[in-house]
Amino acid sequence: MNNQTSVRPWTAFTELPGNVWRSIFRNPIPHSDLGRSATSFTNFFLHVQPVKVHRHSLRLTYTWGLGLISLFLFLILAVTGVLLMFYYVPSTTQAYDRMLDLRGTVAFGIFLRNMHRWSAHAMVAVVFLHMCRVFFTGAYKKPREFNWIIGVGLFLLTMFFSFTGYLLPWDQLAFWAITVGTSIASYAPIVGKDMKFILLGDSSVGQEALLRFYVLHVAVLPILVSLLIAVHFWRVRKDGGISRPPEEDEVFPAANTEPLALAAAASAVAQPVAPKLALKASLEKKLYGIQGIVRGPFTKIGNVPDRSVFSWPNLVLVELLVFLVTVAGVLIVSLYFNAPLEEPVNIMHPPNPAKAPWYFLGLQEMVSYSAFWGGIGIPTLEVIILLLAPYLDRKPGGVGTWFSRERLLANSLFMTFVVVNIILMIIGTFFRGPNWEFVSPW
Amino acid sequence: MANQPTTPNTEESGEAITRRKLLSWLTGMGVFGSVLVSAFSNFIFIKPRATYGQPNRFSVGKPDEYPAGSRMTLDARRICIVRDGDRMEAISTTCTHLGCIVATSETGFACPCHGSHYDQDGNVTGGPAPKRLPWFQVRLAPNGELEVDKDVEIEPGTYFNV
Repeated sequence: MNNQTSVRPWTAFTELPGNVWRSIFRNPIPHSDLGRSATSFTNFFLHVQPVKVHRHSLRLTYTWGLGLISLFLFLILAVTGVLLMFYYVPSTTQAYDRMLDLRGTVAFGIFLRNMHRWSAHAMVAVVFLHMCRVFFTGAYKKPREFNWIIGVGLFLLTMFFSFTGYLLPWDQLAFWAITVGTSIASYAPIVGKDMKFILLGDSSVGQEALLRFYVLHVAVLPILVSLLIAVHFWRVRKDGGISRPPEEDEVFPAANTEPLALAAAASAVAQPVAPKLALKASLEKKLYGIQGIVRGPFTKIGNVPDRSVFSWPNLVLVELLVFLVTVAGVLIVSLYFNAPLEEPVNIMHPPNPAKAPWYFLGLQEMVSYSAFWGGIGIPTLEVIILLLAPYLDRKPGGVGTWFSRERLLANSLFMTFVVVNIILMIIGTFFRGPNWEFVSPW
Repeated sequence: MANQPTTPNTEESGEAITRRKLLSWLTGMGVFGSVLVSAFSNFIFIKPRATYGQPNRFSVGKPDEYPAGSRMTLDARRICIVRDGDRMEAISTTCTHLGCIVATSETGFACPCHGSHYDQDGNVTGGPAPKRLPWFQVRLAPNGELEVDKDVEIEPGTYFNV
């Protein structure tokens, strides 16, 4: 009927495969600013990122890419972990044999196990370093207090993740590390004994514990951590991007007010009379009315120099670079070093000394003085102080620079905390021999 | 109904509870309560009622198998059976510090993990152990065999007389 819209069948074929491609990628490789911003918000994977990102956020020496590396390690762990699940059986009679099979018969088995183990070690370290970066740059201050709390939660979950993974090979280290670890848990007041029993599913480490740790490791914790990572990233965006020092010409400083109050302040400047009406008008008419919903510094409206660049390609390339470095690092380490595997579990003979993985050795060193204070009391206090830090340290200054002089006290305290824990770890790793007696490594 | 005078709604401004407020409060509490109850029931669910590992009450053979003056450790059961003349006792060999197996030593027991020491009766003589090694109930089962119950801790110094 309508000749204008009818298409001859063969003409439709000539559009292939271009029309398929265009239906997937709504945007061609951009050559204009409009295209660059469209690329960010028409792509599911890129829309997590802002269209434009502040130059300061891209500086390697500010973040050292630690948050990104943590994410990429988590992704490597998820991929290698799922692959390892194809050959693993959480059974006390089979688990250890499966470890040997990974070495002997499974294609790339030993390599995948190496990648998984070393990435796990690296993730604990990098997440901790990321926490140090955030503290020493004062990035946990308003409005980012709650994201710091989520971060502390992610750090603890990372440790627990690693702890549950430790049991799965069912070798001597696995068995005794978990025996010692869950015994520490049982020192917790009131709920300690029940916590240990629920964790192990029995009175001692055995088949039930192996199954429980497996389920936690491959189902419960991955879901929890993924969820928290999502919230963590989302809040980074909503809190105005990665922290940076305030700029003199910034119209509205980042820290102080609620979004609506900001809009009200803006309109009050324009029309001191009838602020309610003015607010309404500003929300309807002005460009920054809609930005009033977003917390944090206003994106520039032309009256200040624009220090931001387009995420595509600037941010994306930086991320790609960090990803490549992370993967390359893990691959190289996994090629040269094999993940340790000790003797199969022997319930009769604990190794002497029975040492936990390095990041728990500080804890184990403290535990050798007092099980309650070293294993429960002091760690709980440390976590509480970490959680409260953004609510106790409320001075707005010193955000966005490393070791700001304004934050000398807070940074010194945190540095003490870090150094003490590292020293305890070193003592536990190198200076403790049989019966946990002091030995010299030389 | 229709002829009732519609009173002006004065409650909204005051502290008084309106029907809407009450209903939303009840709904909120209902939802919140259900979440709490289901979270709590998860803990009941994952706390096993029956365990599949070793039973805590088991037979350790006839009293004659233990000569007078012997100290036999059953590592798999994590106990040490001591016989002193006609008196017998079962001492735990699980270190009270962090659950390693203690080995018998000349002076009693010693833990290889963090260096706790105990004397012959299980009293702490050194190291980080916070408590003595517990003693477990020993009884004679009807079939003439000794039965140890690790769920029942008894006062140290309470012997089973053969």
